[in-house]
Amino acid sequence: MEDIYLSNLAEIVDIKKETPDVKTVRLKFKDGKIRDSFDYKPGQFVEFSVFNEGEAPFCISNSPTRKSEGIECSIKKMGKVTQAAHELDIGDTVGIRGPYGNGFPMEELKNKNLLFVAGGIGLAPLRSLINYCMDNRADFKSITIVNGARTSKDLVYKDEYPKWEKAKDTKLHLTVDCQEDNWTCMVGVVPRILETIRPTCKDAVTIVCGPPVMIRYTMPVLLKIGFCAEDIFTTLEMKMKCGLGKCGRCNIGPLYICKEGPVFTYARLEALKYEF
Amino acid sequence: MSKKFMERIIGREELIRVIEGLLGNFQVVGPRELPGKGVFYQPMKNARDIYLGGGFTIEPVKKFFLSPSECFFEQKRNESGEFLEEAPLAGDKRIIIGARSCEARGLTLLDKVFDSDYKDSFYINNRKRTTLIGISCDSPDKDCFCTSMGGSPTEGRGMDALIFEIGDQFIIEVISDKGSDIFGSAGSELNEEQKKLWESDKKKRKEALSRKVAVPDGLDKAFGSPYWERASSACLSCGVCTYLCPTCHCFDLVDEERKRLRCYDGCAFADFTLHASGENPRPTKKERYRQRAYHKFDYFKKNFGENLCVGCGRCIRHCPVKIDIADIVANAPLDKES
Repeated sequence: MEDIYLSNLAEIVDIKKETPDVKTVRLKFKDGKIRDSFDYKPGQFVEFSVFNEGEAPFCISNSPTRKSEGIECSIKKMGKVTQAAHELDIGDTVGIRGPYGNGFPMEELKNKNLLFVAGGIGLAPLRSLINYCMDNRADFKSITIVNGARTSKDLVYKDEYPKWEKAKDTKLHLTVDCQEDNWTCMVGVVPRILETIRPTCKDAVTIVCGPPVMIRYTMPVLLKIGFCAEDIFTTLEMKMKCGLGKCGRCNIGPLYICKEGPVFTYARLEALKYEF
Repeated sequence: MSKKFMERIIGREELIRVIEGLLGNFQVVGPRELPGKGVFYQPMKNARDIYLGGGFTIEPVKKFFLSPSECFFEQKRNESGEFLEEAPLAGDKRIIIGARSCEARGLTLLDKVFDSDYKDSFYINNRKRTTLIGISCDSPDKDCFCTSMGGSPTEGRGMDALIFEIGDQFIIEVISDKGSDIFGSAGSELNEEQKKLWESDKKKRKEALSRKVAVPDGLDKAFGSPYWERASSACLSCGVCTYLCPTCHCFDLVDEERKRLRCYDGCAFADFTLHASGENPRPTKKERYRQRAYHKFDYFKKNFGENLCVGCGRCIRHCPVKIDIADIVANAPLDKES
């Protein structure tokens, strides 16, 4: 019987500094067999080990259509494991186990107008999904991306923006919380920007990811625009220590976010009798 | 189809001889009273140390299956680079004598967590390599309420054999092949009179347990009530209830000296759900205590069909501020407003 808690060794092959406190690391499994067999859906996550420091969950931020380049995790410097991760160099070894969680429901997104709403590092799981859509562009209708950050320095994946803007039938709206010098895009928090641009809710699905405060104020706006709760997806951030539904801390009511989530419709969360 | 095993009746000296036979061949563990401390599971050296007393262990038998701290792997390095050395699964067979029905039943609930979709090889190996021989309770504590949790002091779920002490005789209910390996040919089969004696003894044991607890259906209706703040106000967040519970199984994964360890953790602790960002979905004792109550009496029932409580009373008996989870849950207001 295999050990479900055992990490697979992976080498850091690239590190990109996204913002002053976010780095994207690209990883290649050392074992060629795992490199070939490892597959995932956008929205799934892995348990990432910095050995001797600990393990923490991160979504895979690149698209499975591009996994031959390795898998990527974007890490915001926050606690013990993430601080240690920021000190790693190319060539260093980390541990990866997974993928875990349900991921985004790709079939339900097909032939729909898609609205992606991201705040800060919340763009990480959406980047995997957006690039999946870019690589299968004919399967989806229009794509609208609303991406906000506290300041322009905090915007992640800046080098992807020109590609998204150039893609067919795709719009990118960037916003920062307060006006800055030389900033030519939008100003204002994400829910307010959504009210301004009023993206289509017709034949549309929206996927939202960001800090809890953004989610809280964005949901009512999406409902007001005309999205029904079944067509609003979000991916929840929880302390998912084991990823296997056993360690007991990521649950909302009887739902284990690591196993049944992290992707849920707003309708499902609303129907829970328990707080989230 | 489950196999039908026999009951055996055996005298004290023969029981001692059977256990002596085990001591030479296996690691044997049993409860022992440590003066001034209480009863604890200890390696058994002398068969005459077998503890049949009324008091039961402070720690449940859980720790032999889900260790308080267990190494999964160690990060090492050789000429060709870094590698992970997996911790070997313990191979030696082990016999535990003296578990009570409640804590053995607790294992059947842990089986649902650790021997389900993602199989925990460490836990499953510990279950397989252990023969669990229970001793039926005859003098329950005032905090015991196993019969209200669907259990009984005379049931053998989770065990391989269960011993009933009746006068100077022992009736042994053989429950599995592992139990049959030890007791299958010991003593003799029960005659009709002894069967009757056993039935009336079982009835007496059940009746000795006086505490009844009614867990309300639809506990989820009370989730939003301010009641949980009052109910948890005395809690010291010490976590002793979770460590001593035969069914609590929440854990942390931590790294120490290049080893990945699984350690007990618990919902009573403030940092259990604390995110690195500073967000905490269970920020106060109210949410944390409610999590414990709901995990046991609502969530687990929804996910696995049973309460995650066997009514052993340990969390009540050993709580430094005498919080009684059974009372708290039984009195939860289902109308939400109170």
